[in-house]
Amino acid sequence: MMSDGGIEDEEKWLAEGIAGLQHNAFYMHRALDSNNLRDALKYSAQMLSELRTSRLSPHKYYELYMRAFDELRKLEMFFKEETKRGCSVIDLYELVQHAGNILPRLYLLCTVGSVYIRSKEAPAKDVLKDLVEMCRGIQHPVRGLFLRSYLSQVSRDKLPDIGSEYEGDADTVMDAVEFVLQNFTEMNKLWVRMQHQGPVREKEKREKERSELRDLVGKNLHVLSQIEGVDLDLYRDTVLPRVLEQVVNCKDEIAQYYLMDCIIQVFPDEYHLQTLETLLGACPQLQPIVDIKTVLSQLMDRLSNYAASSAEVLPEFLQVEAFAKLSNAIGKVIEAQVDMPAFGSIGLYVSLLTFTLRVHPDRLDYVDQVLGACVKKLSGKAKLEDSKGTKQIVALLSAPLEKYNDIGIALKLSNYPRVMDHLDSATNKVMAVVIIQSIMKNNTCISTADKVEALFELIKGLIKDLDGAPADELDEEDFKEEQNSVARLIHMLHNDDPEEMLKIICIVRKHILSGGPKRLAFTVPPLIFSALKLVRRLQGQDGDLDGEEMSATPKKIFQLLHQTIEALLSVPAPELALRLYLQCAEAANDCDIEPVAYEFFTQAFILYEEEVADSKAQVTAIHLIIGTLQRMNVFGVENRDTLTHKATGYSAKLLKKPDQCRAVYACSHLFWVDDQDGIKDGERVLLCLKRALRIANAAQQMANVTRGSNGPVTLFVEILNKYLYFFEKGNAQVTTAAIQGLVELITTEMQSDAKTQDPSADAFFSSTLRYIQFQKQKGGAMGEKYEPIKV
Amino acid sequence: MVLVLALGDLHIPHRAADLPPKFKSMLVPGKIQHIICTGNLCIKEVHDYLKSLCPDMHITRGEYDEDARYPETKTLTIGQFKLGLCHGHQVVPWGDLDSLAMLQRQLDVDILVTGHTHQFKAYKHEGGVVINPGSATGAYSSITYDVNPSFVLMDIDALRVVVYVYELIDGEVKVDKIDFKKTSTSHSAH
Amino acid sequence: MNYIVGAFKPSCNITITFADGRTRKQVPFKKENGKTVMVPLFQSQENIVGEVSIEPFQWKKVEHNGVKIELLGQIEMYSDRGNFYDFTSLVRELEVPGDIYERKSYPFEFSSVEMPYESYSGVNVRLRYVLKVTISRSYVGNMVEYQDFAVQKYTPVPSINNTIKMEVGIEDCLHIEFEYSKSKYHLKDVIVGKIYFLLVRIKIKHMELEIRRRESTGSGPNTHVETETLAKFELMDGVPVRGESIPIRLFLSPYELTPTYRNINNKFNVKYFLNLVLVDEEDRRYFKQQEITVYRLQET
Repeated sequence: MMSDGGIEDEEKWLAEGIAGLQHNAFYMHRALDSNNLRDALKYSAQMLSELRTSRLSPHKYYELYMRAFDELRKLEMFFKEETKRGCSVIDLYELVQHAGNILPRLYLLCTVGSVYIRSKEAPAKDVLKDLVEMCRGIQHPVRGLFLRSYLSQVSRDKLPDIGSEYEGDADTVMDAVEFVLQNFTEMNKLWVRMQHQGPVREKEKREKERSELRDLVGKNLHVLSQIEGVDLDLYRDTVLPRVLEQVVNCKDEIAQYYLMDCIIQVFPDEYHLQTLETLLGACPQLQPIVDIKTVLSQLMDRLSNYAASSAEVLPEFLQVEAFAKLSNAIGKVIEAQVDMPAFGSIGLYVSLLTFTLRVHPDRLDYVDQVLGACVKKLSGKAKLEDSKGTKQIVALLSAPLEKYNDIGIALKLSNYPRVMDHLDSATNKVMAVVIIQSIMKNNTCISTADKVEALFELIKGLIKDLDGAPADELDEEDFKEEQNSVARLIHMLHNDDPEEMLKIICIVRKHILSGGPKRLAFTVPPLIFSALKLVRRLQGQDGDLDGEEMSATPKKIFQLLHQTIEALLSVPAPELALRLYLQCAEAANDCDIEPVAYEFFTQAFILYEEEVADSKAQVTAIHLIIGTLQRMNVFGVENRDTLTHKATGYSAKLLKKPDQCRAVYACSHLFWVDDQDGIKDGERVLLCLKRALRIANAAQQMANVTRGSNGPVTLFVEILNKYLYFFEKGNAQVTTAAIQGLVELITTEMQSDAKTQDPSADAFFSSTLRYIQFQKQKGGAMGEKYEPIKV
Repeated sequence: MVLVLALGDLHIPHRAADLPPKFKSMLVPGKIQHIICTGNLCIKEVHDYLKSLCPDMHITRGEYDEDARYPETKTLTIGQFKLGLCHGHQVVPWGDLDSLAMLQRQLDVDILVTGHTHQFKAYKHEGGVVINPGSATGAYSSITYDVNPSFVLMDIDALRVVVYVYELIDGEVKVDKIDFKKTSTSHSAH
Repeated sequence: MNYIVGAFKPSCNITITFADGRTRKQVPFKKENGKTVMVPLFQSQENIVGEVSIEPFQWKKVEHNGVKIELLGQIEMYSDRGNFYDFTSLVRELEVPGDIYERKSYPFEFSSVEMPYESYSGVNVRLRYVLKVTISRSYVGNMVEYQDFAVQKYTPVPSINNTIKMEVGIEDCLHIEFEYSKSKYHLKDVIVGKIYFLLVRIKIKHMELEIRRRESTGSGPNTHVETETLAKFELMDGVPVRGESIPIRLFLSPYELTPTYRNINNKFNVKYFLNLVLVDEEDRRYFKQQEITVYRLQET
């Protein structure tokens, strides 16, 4: 083999080889031109002697070979002409064999052989057989591979194939097949032999060289696949068994992997389907380190695509029991290759599953069977730690989701959650997210309590801390994202039947409450709103009429809601709980259940008083309380008074004066509700507004002390607007004089406050005045009403 | 011509899983110049999604928004129009037009966009416009029953704004068009 | 000048012609001076018929004591140059003593001549057939003229022609089995065979087949053996592995072989051997030699 001469030397050797080749080719051309057969033979043999070199790597040798190849084409033309001139091709065939060196001799023999077959003076098969036999003389792998590749090349169009001009009584396609098979076998042997020649330390280099040569070997399979006469019978009975025999017997993992792949790629899918047993039967016989999973995966992928190509081929799959055979083969391979890493075996199941989903989409039992086999493989082992393996499991579990776009299918697969159990907690979560995403993407509605229960079993990794899961080192962002996806999922759990829906809600509640405080803030709100939607559906009905059997009553649900929101206190999430209580209060209001509504308000108030400490949060909370309370109509006078009293009380106690002022004037709306009987208490409205004015004044004085603070003039303009509001609504307590006074007050303030210009307040005031002007000019009742006000 | 997407009260994931797919397929990046959102998105994922449609975003805070940095109100000028934005839970009674008019005066804007009620509204009011784009997800509301998902696209061109309302009714997207012309700019020059 | 020279020159021109000289096949024949000439080819038991013509120069008379023609079969050992051993000698008297004045022709015929050996021109020995015309003269030397001719013997296709098959080897290193399809080959034959590698523990670089000719002359202690390699034919290139079988096909026609000659008149032998040579990567040679019989087949 090559010494460590390095690339430069190799370049030099190649250059020398080319020079020698060209030199002799020159004389050969001269001999050809002058029809001098003897010299032609002499110089062509010398030219071909350059191919005897051992110093070139396959890559460089190929370069030299290609040049020789071109020259041989010319020589072949010459031989052809010689025979036309009366030289017997049989004599030529002998004559070239006089050459003393074997390599040139065999190249020449193949070249004349090509002419010989074309002349039809002997049956093609005899010539082919002789050539392929004689080539045995080259035992050097690289030289032998190239020589045989040359033989393959020159004989390709001269095989006695069906329909070929070389087919005849004596020559059948069998002979063509036999010839190619033999050449293939010999080439593979040479190729495999390379592995074992030369020093151990050059193993890597040798493997690289081998990979450069592999297509020379594989080409034979390609030729076989191109032979017209290789029909299914011939393929099944001869071609495949013979090829596999060589593949198995060569005991070389590189060759086995490459050739199995070749077989799968070059022959038609229908042949594979009809010979599955044979092809698969070879797999467990391959060397243990052959990457059989990739081979099988490719086969299954191809078959899957084939199945997908046309519905007409599907019966074939059933007829040959493709699934059973593949499943069986995978089992055997996994059994045989004890060292196969988990990701390998799972990868095989992924491919099988893909195949199953494509070919037998209606056979959920097959799908479950594949998952079951995977569980079996995984059982007894610790949870998968290696990332490749888990990736494969995720792929395995995702495949049915992608196929059916219906989580309902996965929920029917008994082995599905069992596979998930083998994932580490992080991947389990990833998978749970995939499941949720699938539901989302397909807008799948999970409509029964049983399914919901099964679904929560699948995604339990997200719902609660699993035993043995590492204490949270979780990224907060990831956690949020996961929990938000659970929150979204809750909206997909729905049944139009209130009873079933209530069951669903109870199941969800049970699960999410087990999730611990950090999850509740995410999962409680969607559950609450889901339940509120149910309440709204039940709103028209009166549950009590149907007796106790009817469990889905608003009351019952409110009770559930109450207990659920309460759980948020452990988070703690008082602001969220407060908002949810208010939502529930409104829902109870709509259901006309006063005590419940009152209870929810009470809870909200307790939270406000005890838990909401931040001033800004208080402002928002107050607005929500006032806004909600303003809409309540279920309360009797007493309850209402209690609540409005408290609300105004809170308002006046806000930290900042402007906030107090605004909350207080907002409270005025609690006493004046349009379209509602009874609540038009002009006096208390005015009290609120006056109280707001007092606070504004106080703020004004404070601002005078601490110059530069937010101009409270705005507050006056705001109050002015509230005056106008109630004035327009017909509150007799609000008089034009009061408005006039306020306008003047503001005008004065603005002038005196000139140093601290507040353009927004100016604009606000201007637009308010413009509004008054607008109303005045409107005429009619409103115009008249405004008439006395001067601006 | 400037296209402004106005939407709000998505309430994801509290009250809805996501935007309706039909809306999502309509809302593609690169077509919209501004987004104004009244609030209650409620989470960052939604924020990021909107941002992917158009980076120029204006958001005010709804009572369920996790991002506390959104302001209570916001004003901006697009073309000849001054726009005001507020979620609306601060304006009692909720959804009350006269109260919103006061906010419009306070912010001194031509167009006021608010949400909270989950009910699409567009009024010409005192020479201005008050718009509520509804809930883009059709989220549950204590105020409005049977909420249909909706959003608003405003096509602002000089003194003219055409408001397109997209509403998803029984799985079909219905579009309505409301045309406003700004009659005078005098008061904003005041 | 002619006169002076003429005194030493033969005074006549002797030519020997064969009756069928124009049609008879001619074969190359290597003369003692190394030149190759074409000579007529005969076989044993043939009639050798012809004519000797004597033509005196310039009307000079040729005085003689008789003219005869001899047919000689001679073996000549180069080691003993000039010494011929005649194994065949036939004489025909052509003319009684007298004078020859003008061109005169004498037909001659040797009928059914027994010529037991083939003409051969080897390294140390030559076997030739020659016609020798002698004009005996008293005072000056005899005038002699030679005419060579060649004799070849055809052998029928042997009825028994066994294959040569043999297993050879170096213990635990190399075991091969080779097979030549025949042990007897005619001159234009093809050697066909196979080499099986039963055990290969050394790295064979290549393998060739040699044709060797062994010519032995003399006998007893004076035996002289000369071996020539007539052909080196590469059979295999590269390192074979166990189980390989390498085909042999060697055409004999390009090589100048003669038939095998065994004990020709107790003077010499010419034998042929096939020598299978294996060369390993360190250029060590391993070989096995097998005798083959070469024979001449009547060409059709």
